Amino acid sequence: MDEKKEFTPSIIYGLCSWCGTGGSETAGAMHLQYADNIRPFRVPCTGAIDPVYILRALIEGADGFAVSGCHPGDCHFDSGNYRARRRIAVLKSLLDTFGLDSERVLLRWVGHGEGKRFADTVNEFNDYIKEMKKNPLAERRDT
Amino acid sequence: METMIDSRMMMTDFLTALFDKLDVAGVAVMSKLPSGEKTAFTLFTGKDDIKECVPFFPAMPANAARAVSKFTRQAVPSKTVAVFLRPCELRAFTELIKIKQASFDNLLILSYDCSGVFPFQEINLSDETKLNAYRDAVSTGKNCEGIRPVCAACTRFTPQGEDIAISFVGRSTDQPLVFSFPSEKGLAAAEQLGLDVSNTVAASSAVESLAQERRSAEEELTAEVDASLSDTQGLVNVFDRCVSCHACSYVCPICYCKNCYFDSQTFEYFPESYFIRMQAKGALRFPVDRVLFHLGRLSHMGVSCVACGMCEDVCPVNIPVSQIFKTAGSKAQALFDYIPGENYDEPLPLLAYAEQELEEFED
Repeated sequence: MDEKKEFTPSIIYGLCSWCGTGGSETAGAMHLQYADNIRPFRVPCTGAIDPVYILRALIEGADGFAVSGCHPGDCHFDSGNYRARRRIAVLKSLLDTFGLDSERVLLRWVGHGEGKRFADTVNEFNDYIKEMKKNPLAERRDT
Repeated sequence: METMIDSRMMMTDFLTALFDKLDVAGVAVMSKLPSGEKTAFTLFTGKDDIKECVPFFPAMPANAARAVSKFTRQAVPSKTVAVFLRPCELRAFTELIKIKQASFDNLLILSYDCSGVFPFQEINLSDETKLNAYRDAVSTGKNCEGIRPVCAACTRFTPQGEDIAISFVGRSTDQPLVFSFPSEKGLAAAEQLGLDVSNTVAASSAVESLAQERRSAEEELTAEVDASLSDTQGLVNVFDRCVSCHACSYVCPICYCKNCYFDSQTFEYFPESYFIRMQAKGALRFPVDRVLFHLGRLSHMGVSCVACGMCEDVCPVNIPVSQIFKTAGSKAQALFDYIPGENYDEPLPLLAYAEQELEEFED
């Protein structure tokens, strides 16, 4: 990588169909600017995100993985977000055990109307990952 | 602690009595194989061959919870079956009950305080030296040289949730069996067997001394595993030999899925996907997804890991899988104050939730 160039992290953003993507739509409607190096993808519910997806992204070289869905109590499927929280807690504990940085995974609730919160989350996480530098696993071809 | 009683019965008498007095349909227990060298978990339907039974033989060719789950999963046995389970097998069985893969109805569960087992490929019925050393270690409450590392570091070697407990540590196998009956079912069985519950025996001090040795061994093992995994290099090194055979998941009592996610089409990539991955990293090492498999499997079953050690026993390339899973699993379990195999009424952490919890994992 060219050292003169600023490091542009590759960030995957899992958004639930109901609130997370809603937040991104609201951000769009409000013409809010946010870092364009995030790659959003839509899932039916944060509870549908198997930690394996996150692990695979991190192992294959993503520098960060964010997850956003409905606020507690607002889940479209009643309890998917609570389940997601447990899974991410387990995942973060595993990442810490294995000497990987659990801070590369972010869980933050973003409601449908919270366009500003969505844009802020993206920018904040992007800056944070920039500080953390590249994911060491991204360079490893022996995983 | 339940009172222990001297049954004045040897193992063969006890097994015969199970058929004669309790009228069990069968006894599921470790037994000698006809070849004369190896043992296997076997379901006996009559007392003719019970002299072949070796319930305490220090080998675990398979986690017996898997076997018992097979014949209790959808239909309950029509008559009582007595099953011998090691404490870790009983824990795995309890976890399987929670996910509706097993049932304890019509089972009489017998267990004992376990002194650990040798890697099953390293122990034969004719290995007199090893077996004698093992017997000595059992009677004095010490870890025997050569038992599996996870067994030597197992602090949960006394059973939980059994009907009849046989006291094993600190006793000699050529003396009558010492029982305790922690459940109603067990007490009823004692009555039917005609055991005199007034012949009480004191608990052996060897149990406590073994527990102490195990606790310090566990601390050491955890520290060692933690140190070996401290950074990315450590993680890659540990799984570097993995040949992706997935045998660890096939023997795992908790990994009950008939079609493992990691063997599914999800991991059958399109050719261009390999090409893209190759370009992204400048190389593509085969087999792919080795670290992903182990970490992913941990994320699925780690909170239920009972540290039975089967995964490590079958690993063809000697990765300390079980030591890693025990260490990583217990940290994940600590998040929910969850102890796998303790209580079959408790739901699995990943199938339950609380509305207010784990807020430190947000933001």
